[in-house]
Amino acid sequence: MDYRTLLAAVLGVGLGAVMVAFPEAVVKVHTAGRRPHDRHGEYGTNESGHERYHRLVRGLGVVVALAGVYFGATLVV
Amino acid sequence: MRHPSLTARMAVVGSILFAFYAVAAVVAMGAFGVPLWLVLIGSVLFVGVQYKLGKYFALRSVGAEDMPEGQYPQIHRQVEELAADMGIEKPRLMIARMGVPNAFAVGRKGAGTVVVSEELIRTLDADELEGVLAHELAHITNRDVVMMVLGQGVASIVAIVAQWAVLLSGDNDLADFFLAIIVGQIVQMLVMLFVFAISRYREYVADGDAADAIGSGEPLARALEKISRGNERSDDSRVDESVNALCIFGEGSGLAALLSTHPPVEKRIDRLRN
Repeated sequence: MDYRTLLAAVLGVGLGAVMVAFPEAVVKVHTAGRRPHDRHGEYGTNESGHERYHRLVRGLGVVVALAGVYFGATLVV
Repeated sequence: MRHPSLTARMAVVGSILFAFYAVAAVVAMGAFGVPLWLVLIGSVLFVGVQYKLGKYFALRSVGAEDMPEGQYPQIHRQVEELAADMGIEKPRLMIARMGVPNAFAVGRKGAGTVVVSEELIRTLDADELEGVLAHELAHITNRDVVMMVLGQGVASIVAIVAQWAVLLSGDNDLADFFLAIIVGQIVQMLVMLFVFAISRYREYVADGDAADAIGSGEPLARALEKISRGNERSDDSRVDESVNALCIFGEGSGLAALLSTHPPVEKRIDRLRN
């Protein structure tokens, strides 16, 4: 059993799911500290309003999850 | 000591971040043979560049312009007085059209900038705006911006080292490249959980400092309340999008709550009033 490939498959599907379900959180992880966290959205709320980036993260999440499934399949086949 | 509770929390989170950084530095030195001086200089440069670029792009991306004193004399006077009360130099004041009522601070003590949106000025009364300005000045006084940059810097460095450690310890096949990227992302997310936790607390501290500076928490509470209420009935499409995003992920539950930079507005209003 190739444990690294198994790990890649499991973590890939997991991270892909998080990216699809919580795109805003993923964007925040990468932008906090690099730009003011309250630059977008309304004052006093968590940053939001970048639907474009959220769609991009969701799309990447699907790709990551599918890649995870692919690596998982290589272990079975 | 101005904020013993914040200092204690910062000591805990700072130690955790330092531990992450130390592990990354040891791995970089041990596994990749990078000398200590290069690790330290590289880290300082990395964070320094992030700080400088972050400030530049933040101001540029909202199209911020210097706020003319002749046109906004009251705001300039309020900020001058608040800065004097808080013992900092008056920050540079800028104005931008952001599409929503908003304000933010960038920079540090002595080189701070506060950006206010035209929409915020139109929405709030003078005392409510003073509450918001005091909150932003408190962020500069408490070095909150610098703390976030440092936190993100540590998270990025740890993630990069983790990524390379996975990559170089494998067989360089496709699965290893994929695993390295995934591990880097997950590690960055884990480190940022600690940064976000302290960021949420620092919002409460900034609210408290703003209330002290203007003598009451009520104006800032009213400002937050007014903006929240405005969002609920706004028919502006950009605002709708934001509200939808907040509704989907919520401000106070699950992963979204852990990865929030701000505490829920209702809790902040409660604290300001009590």
